[in-house]
Amino acid sequence: MKLSTAHKIGRFFQYFVLILVGVIMIYPLVWMVGATFKSNAEIFAGIGFLTANPTLQGYIDAVTQNYGGDISIWRAFINTYSFVIPKVIFTVISSVIAAYGFSRFKFKGRDMLFGIMISTLFLPQVVLNVPQYLMYNSFGWINSPFYLPLWVPTLFATETYFVYQLVQFMRSIPHDLDEAAAIDGCGPVKILYKIIAPMLSPSLVACGLFQFMWSCNDYMGPLLYVQTPSKYPMSIFVKLSMDADSGFNWNRILALSLISIIPQLVVFFCAQDAFIDGISAGAVKG
Amino acid sequence: MKKAISLGVAAAMAATLLAGCGTAASSAAPSSEAASTADSTTAESTAASEAAPSEAHEINTTDPIELTISWWGGDSRHEAYQKALEAFHEKYPNITVSPTYGAWSGWEEKQSTALAADQGSDVMQVNWNWLYQYSPTGEKFVDLREYSDVIDLSQWSDTAKNACIVADSLQAVPISMTGRIFYWNMNTFKQAGIEAVPTSYDDLIAAGKAFQEKLGDDYYPLAIGQYDRMILMTFYLESKYGKAWVENNECQYTEEEVVDGLNFIKSLEDNHVIPTRPTMIAAGFDSIDKSQEWIDGKYAGIFEWDSAPSKYQSALADNSGFTVGEEIKFGDKANGGFSKVSMGMAITKSCQHPVEAAALIDFLWNGEGAAIMGSECGIPASTAGLAAAQAADAVKPLVLEANTKVLAFVDMPLDPYYESSKLKDTTDGVYTDVFDGFSYGDYDAEEAAEILLDGVSGVLSANA
Amino acid sequence: MSSAAPKTVQRTPFKRWCDENTGLFFLIPWILGFLIFKAYPFASSLVYSFTDLNFFKGISQYGVMNYVEIFTSRKTVSVLLTTVKYAFITVPLKLVFALFIAYILNFKIKFVNLFRTVYYIPSILGGSVAIAVLWRALFKDTGVVNTILGFFGIAGPDWLADKTWALFVICLLRVWQFGSAMVLFLAALKGVPADLYEAATIDGASKTKQFFSITVPMITPVIFYNLVTQIAQAFQEFNGPYIITQGGPRNATTLVSLLVYNYAFKSNEMGMACALAWVMFIAVALLTVIAFTSQKHWVYYAD
Repeated sequence: MKLSTAHKIGRFFQYFVLILVGVIMIYPLVWMVGATFKSNAEIFAGIGFLTANPTLQGYIDAVTQNYGGDISIWRAFINTYSFVIPKVIFTVISSVIAAYGFSRFKFKGRDMLFGIMISTLFLPQVVLNVPQYLMYNSFGWINSPFYLPLWVPTLFATETYFVYQLVQFMRSIPHDLDEAAAIDGCGPVKILYKIIAPMLSPSLVACGLFQFMWSCNDYMGPLLYVQTPSKYPMSIFVKLSMDADSGFNWNRILALSLISIIPQLVVFFCAQDAFIDGISAGAVKG
Repeated sequence: MKKAISLGVAAAMAATLLAGCGTAASSAAPSSEAASTADSTTAESTAASEAAPSEAHEINTTDPIELTISWWGGDSRHEAYQKALEAFHEKYPNITVSPTYGAWSGWEEKQSTALAADQGSDVMQVNWNWLYQYSPTGEKFVDLREYSDVIDLSQWSDTAKNACIVADSLQAVPISMTGRIFYWNMNTFKQAGIEAVPTSYDDLIAAGKAFQEKLGDDYYPLAIGQYDRMILMTFYLESKYGKAWVENNECQYTEEEVVDGLNFIKSLEDNHVIPTRPTMIAAGFDSIDKSQEWIDGKYAGIFEWDSAPSKYQSALADNSGFTVGEEIKFGDKANGGFSKVSMGMAITKSCQHPVEAAALIDFLWNGEGAAIMGSECGIPASTAGLAAAQAADAVKPLVLEANTKVLAFVDMPLDPYYESSKLKDTTDGVYTDVFDGFSYGDYDAEEAAEILLDGVSGVLSANA
Repeated sequence: MSSAAPKTVQRTPFKRWCDENTGLFFLIPWILGFLIFKAYPFASSLVYSFTDLNFFKGISQYGVMNYVEIFTSRKTVSVLLTTVKYAFITVPLKLVFALFIAYILNFKIKFVNLFRTVYYIPSILGGSVAIAVLWRALFKDTGVVNTILGFFGIAGPDWLADKTWALFVICLLRVWQFGSAMVLFLAALKGVPADLYEAATIDGASKTKQFFSITVPMITPVIFYNLVTQIAQAFQEFNGPYIITQGGPRNATTLVSLLVYNYAFKSNEMGMACALAWVMFIAVALLTVIAFTSQKHWVYYAD
């Protein structure tokens, strides 16, 4: 009796916190939805959701503007995914390989290499932009129709953030499983994809998910390396109409931003089950 | 094998690294070629209009030629450029122009990075300060006087052209000129019992009093940010003392005079003409057109570029009272104030077909293209261009009115380093420090004046 | 895999080398990637930091003058301190908050998928234009936060204009975007073996006790990971102050990366930008070394 009251209070507290925090988290999106129907004056006049004179013009402009046939919202979506998807796949594969090397083996110089890798997290991108540009330029990759500068590096585990993430998760997987597999005659490569990768799948999904979100949102990368408007990804397309000098319609920018994140929301919503299913399938039992 | 590869890669790295340093170091000293052309141009004349090309150019109308062009802006500018480019292609079917365009956000980073690698587009819409910042030795942009038989340079005034001469080279033609002017929301003024547009300092002070008494503490006749304050102070000082802010690479004002200028700004704050900086920052907007205070009419005036009115007009909840004001003369020695090149158009040195690129520039700003471009990039600075745009009825009346008033009034030159980011930057610029610090009460007028003069002379000597 | 199994097969030195360095083979792509894509930009920026390089004027001076300037100028020193303050407020708040929410979400909750998505939304919005507009509207003098405080009879500060509170607004923005850290905690929490809890419950340990004696130790690798990466990110924070306060008021929210950006792109003082970036690099590297050496006292690895 006493226990169940405490239990109920606990439940109530959980939901109370979840909903309260949830409201704070989701309100910007709710506001954005409302604002897509507002005029400029209304958008900056307060943060209410409703508007007196709703207009669909923002959405109409968002989906119809095609810049003389150069680029439309649909084209921008296709462009975005045409480099984001390879980028995600290559990041996950190359990162898991590098992470395996770092976390499962001992060899001379490993710690030094690991230190070098971690340290690449510490330098801000702004000071690397120009040397990188010069380098890609010497490879002939500027304005590459295949977005080479945006995804080729990910083939080589250059995304330290994810390599390190996978190293940490891998180190929580007990060694007995791969030792057992080794006794059964599995080589290191087989152990990686038969034993380690399946057990790691929740964090592999998380890694792919983050890379997906960040790459979709990346603005400066495509801006530097893509010149042809018909090749612009969504992140550039969203901002194309923003003229700081003579002004622009915010409802349209917000409508575009909203449309542009829908795939990301859907992907997140669907992918999250993979953390859970992945785990129950892998069944880490001490 | 692996070792061999990594060694090879490392060697290649080292080589490029060295090469990188080499180019950077060599660019410090102008190459002998550049020096000789510089000599010859000075020998000819410093006046932009008199220079002539060293050889005659003919536009290639037969071979297929590809050009690239870049600009920043919003939708209507993108559309105008695209239409103009189509028209250009009709006129010269052998020339294909591929554009790259985007919003201002990140654009300068993109272009400066590309320029650093000599990968800029052939024809480039540039900000005025880019000439000084990215081509201080004339290394990045072509001297357009070389192509004066293709571009009709006589369509631009000498003042406008001279502003684009950097390192003795006409590195761009001005697309438009711009300056600052007041805009008023007369609806609020009427509520405060004022019918006429303010035309003097006394009018401003009277408006401040009337606003506070009749409408309340939240109402101000004018709202100006930190950089606006610097410009307004410059207008005031130049008018009162009759000398340009900076001339011959030296600030012409003493500390006492600057203190006078700062106290002028202070008097506007004290008399409720303008809100203090803390008040404005607390209201949480990044530009005045996005403030609730402007939208609702609580801030009833701004001091802005002549190209900006449509943005402010359309932001108002009720824009029936939006009016282009009059310039205000604060002293009796001069009108004061300045106009500047708002943007220009340049040909990069990496361009393979400068003659055709020059033809494109002439088409866009002197020829048929100007009728299509209209006032999309401001009121055309080219006489022929303005005439064509007006004939095509492609000029926004509000912008034209503001531009005409500004250009008729201002009578002081503008130093190109006035807008150096070291001074103007909203994060760590000297103007921001001086005017915010002064308004916050962190500095008194003497301290603020000293910091300002130190900052200005620092920038001037660095660029001397 | 250096198991001490008795070796009966005669092995060539090459084969033995291969066996001892199996791990290295998995690092070949990374090593190549580092040499091809990272080594040059990194090395260049370090070289640049000892020059007064301006890409459009060249180099006229070599030496440590940038570093001297950084540690003697009042502006840069105070910006470095602000950045440290920012990191020390943001990182712990964000980690505690993300862990707390992940912990609650790990119970059987109805609509858990929906909650998780909702909590991740701020991170998806990232540096979107909408965030700047909304965040300002929340914290302006007559904004939502002060209106709510007003209900409780509290006169809130002018958040954005106040030299003390403005930094806090910027910190809150990043704490609010705790989604990525939360996702990783969730993944880690799911990996804690359920039988550990069962055993503890039988022993009569309370939920709080279980949390601190089972949950936290089991997920320390991920806590550690989040700590290190969040520190690195906090020291490089740019977007928050850039879109909301532009470093103001009176430089109260000017973080190092804003200055680096200004030097690199606005005034083209690439040498200064690189030097400042490398000072930051050293600072974060030191913190990380401290963190890594502390690992053996509190991070639990299965290996």
